[in-house]
Amino acid sequence: MKKIVALLLCCLLTLSFAGALAESVADLCAAAESMSHEELLEKALAEEGTFVVYGNTSRIVTAAEAFGALHGITIEGSNLKDSEIYTKLSTEIKGGAKGADMVMIQDGASLQSQALDTGYLVNFVPASVKDAVAEGDRNPLIQQFINKVFIWNNRGESVPAITNVWQLTEPQFKGNIIFKTPDSEQVNMNFLVMLTNEEWSAKLEEAYKNLYGEEIDLGEYENAGYKWIAEFLSNCTFGNSDTTIAEEISQETAEGKIGLFVLSKLRSSSVYTENLTVGEYVAAETGTPIEPFSGFMYPMYALVSSNASRPYTAMLFIEYLMTQDGFEPWGKSIGAYSTNTQIAPNEGDLGLDAWKGSLVMEDPEYILENYEDVYSFVTLYLQ
Amino acid sequence: MNRQSSRAARQWGRVRAFFSKPANVILVVFCVVLCLLTLYPLLLLMLETVTVHAGKEMRAVSQAEGTFTLYSLQRLFATAKNSYSRLTFYQPLLNTLAVSITASCISIVFGGAVAWLITRTNLKFKRFISTVFVFPYIMPAWTLATFWQTFFKNVNVGAGTSNGIMAAVFGVYMPEWFVYGYFPISMVLGLHYAPFAYILIGGILRNMDANLEEAATILKTAPRRILLRITLPIVKPALLSTLLLVFASSMSAYSVPVFLGSPVRYYVLSTKMMSLINNYPGQGYIIAAVMIVFGVAILAINQHITGSRKSYTTVTGKSSQISLVNLRGLNTPIAVVLTVLMLLVAVLPLITFALESVIIKAGDYSLSNMTLDFWIGRNLTYLDQGDSTGILLSAKVLKALGYSLLLAATCSIVAGTSGVLVGYGIVKRRGSKLATAVNNLSFFPYLMPSLAFGAIYLAMSTRVPFLHGFVVLALVGSVKYLPFASRSGINAMLQLSGEIEEAAVIVGVPWYKRMLRILFPIQKSSFLSGYLLPMVSCMRELSLFVLLVPTSNTLLTTMLMQYSEKGWAQFGNAINLLIIVVVLLVNFIVNKLTGASIDKGVGG
Repeated sequence: MKKIVALLLCCLLTLSFAGALAESVADLCAAAESMSHEELLEKALAEEGTFVVYGNTSRIVTAAEAFGALHGITIEGSNLKDSEIYTKLSTEIKGGAKGADMVMIQDGASLQSQALDTGYLVNFVPASVKDAVAEGDRNPLIQQFINKVFIWNNRGESVPAITNVWQLTEPQFKGNIIFKTPDSEQVNMNFLVMLTNEEWSAKLEEAYKNLYGEEIDLGEYENAGYKWIAEFLSNCTFGNSDTTIAEEISQETAEGKIGLFVLSKLRSSSVYTENLTVGEYVAAETGTPIEPFSGFMYPMYALVSSNASRPYTAMLFIEYLMTQDGFEPWGKSIGAYSTNTQIAPNEGDLGLDAWKGSLVMEDPEYILENYEDVYSFVTLYLQ
Repeated sequence: MNRQSSRAARQWGRVRAFFSKPANVILVVFCVVLCLLTLYPLLLLMLETVTVHAGKEMRAVSQAEGTFTLYSLQRLFATAKNSYSRLTFYQPLLNTLAVSITASCISIVFGGAVAWLITRTNLKFKRFISTVFVFPYIMPAWTLATFWQTFFKNVNVGAGTSNGIMAAVFGVYMPEWFVYGYFPISMVLGLHYAPFAYILIGGILRNMDANLEEAATILKTAPRRILLRITLPIVKPALLSTLLLVFASSMSAYSVPVFLGSPVRYYVLSTKMMSLINNYPGQGYIIAAVMIVFGVAILAINQHITGSRKSYTTVTGKSSQISLVNLRGLNTPIAVVLTVLMLLVAVLPLITFALESVIIKAGDYSLSNMTLDFWIGRNLTYLDQGDSTGILLSAKVLKALGYSLLLAATCSIVAGTSGVLVGYGIVKRRGSKLATAVNNLSFFPYLMPSLAFGAIYLAMSTRVPFLHGFVVLALVGSVKYLPFASRSGINAMLQLSGEIEEAAVIVGVPWYKRMLRILFPIQKSSFLSGYLLPMVSCMRELSLFVLLVPTSNTLLTTMLMQYSEKGWAQFGNAINLLIIVVVLLVNFIVNKLTGASIDKGVGG
């Protein structure tokens, strides 16, 4: 009996030693940032087991499968909602269970507070593509940007071809704007939060003056951002998914409707693309941009999970996603923008820099600081 | 010394006597297991309401993750700024109550009436009506909601971008209150759960002893008086159980209010919970807890009414021959109205799903816009709808189908068998504290909103090594659906007169034989509905499993929801139809093998 106990104790000690000696995924990632593609590949192929990917886009699964086929690695790709990913990540990592190796996710504010502050996800910038990525897009690494822009139905007499977002707050737009309800998709809420910051509220104030020729009367609103949010949301009808919104607005019967949704939905075979006009495209043609923004843009991040069992494979996959081949699943149609500046914008679309100038971008820190206030303010106008 | 040992021996004897009765063993085992599987998760849930979570909550309170806080409670219940509490909690609570109460009433009245017509009258088209009536329950609730929307929507209401069938074909523009908000949510939930009322109430009506009714008939009692004074009191426990179940289900229903409520800004607790749980989990869990509190309150009321020492024995050892009420002149009109209604509620959605799964662009029903590619096509990249293979040829879909079936079968066997045993134990020891405890415990999972229940099991799965993949899915499904099985088990046992088993006990028939050869066969249809209900519910369950599945492709429903969210409507509709057809097939096979089925727990 004593022998068994002693033996067990020995085992335990060895195990805990081994645990202490094993390097954390964060250390591995930091060390690997100077590795070449070949070194990464060698280390990745030495790893064993299924490579697990969580992502909140269906195309990540396509990309993962292509990657798996390329290197002969068994892939398990899950397309989950961003909130589900965070729930799964935190329970799996806290409980020490096997989960994702690599995660691709949107919503920078939640990423920061739920996965980076907590150390659940680890950043990795591959040496081979580092220089091609703008410095601001490296930490955490953004694989691509996605945009939601004003798109309207172009049939009939009353085409809502807006040139200033304050027009959307006018009575004739009541019920004619369709937007996915901001409490069901975080990036929509993030966009609204951003409008309340100094930069955007000032721009909105100026846009108001440009449209109506008079100073804005803020009344009880804190700033022009809040006023616009209140009046915009009051005119909105809320949809359940961007695809459905795109389909609905593209109908013949949807005269006078305008939406703020993902540009890439225009690729869908169920949408009557010919009935739709993209605001920013008109602006690019006429040279009159929509004041002060034509929509918003949000990053899609690619990170290594801190409990990855195939960390090097995760890093190799991230490197792959940053290449032309890895971007292929998104590369065919409009509405997706690789952060690798060497990958040209998709045919028929504007480039990333052009969009960045006319869209509201996320600032995770500002969003986190002001989320609670804006969230409860928005709730007031969701009723 | 001697005295002590004899006392110990006496106590030991008492314990042995206690455990010599199978009912006691069953109750003790289930009491322990259910505590672990329901009270422990509940405790975890309660803790979550006062814990700081990583993310925005941590920022708001500036405390470390996992520490104690009253922030969520204060925020949700007592924040006046921007009317936060009123809009986030109190108003949705009122809406939830309104919807749940209306839905329960609709399902009880509708389901109960049809159950009575099928079992107690000479109604025409019984077979058709009883078969088709369960369709809405087999279908996931949100499909009925989307059907309602596609059927009644028009350019005057909601987003107002296009006309549904009603407006496009018949030129009838329904008003907004009819298309979105309180009324359609209650109607859809009521219709969805009506078959459930029908199954439970019908099972009782069919098996109950007709002697009382016959005696009344002989004494020339008016039929209405028989219904009110005899039939209704006898089915009262089933009615109350049904009311309880439907109320609790409606309360935690999520997808229906999302589809039919959000376009007109009508929110209920479950939709608020879903939007809170990502950013402010504490507040989300409080809403879950509130739902449970309501559930417990109804449970207590039910307990008070059925738990008292009234007897509900309806099946005795004596023969019973049900005499059917003659509907006379009303027969044809009622049958026709019901048939038309069934076609509208149960068959039309199926046709719509079939149609929507073959058209390429929504709203265009011309032949040139149709294709079977979503079912049997290959290399469908031109559609750009996520998948490149029709669902019947897709390895991914077939694998998910297999997994869903295996899961549903496992949950059904575990929950169903437990339900029979629990029913036996509780009824045998009715009135004892132990029986009451197990009765409540076995019902408890039902009061937990599926999503919260799933989340808690996810949390549990990280603490217990073997709780992963299929095991955790099967466990959560079995526990969650145990209430269906235990309710039907209890109802069935309550009707059985004790003398039946006693006769066997006297001649020394062992317990398992009494169960298998006597009790089970007599109440076969009631017990089998305790197996079939978990099976069906499991096949179309989403929120319970969504956090626990290894990937969204694991189950047909998680795949379906993913497709719906992505807006890949055709694949989604095809998979939906596949689920319904599979469940119908299962029902049909069980019917052929055992003679029982979902709809006939009832029917001729």
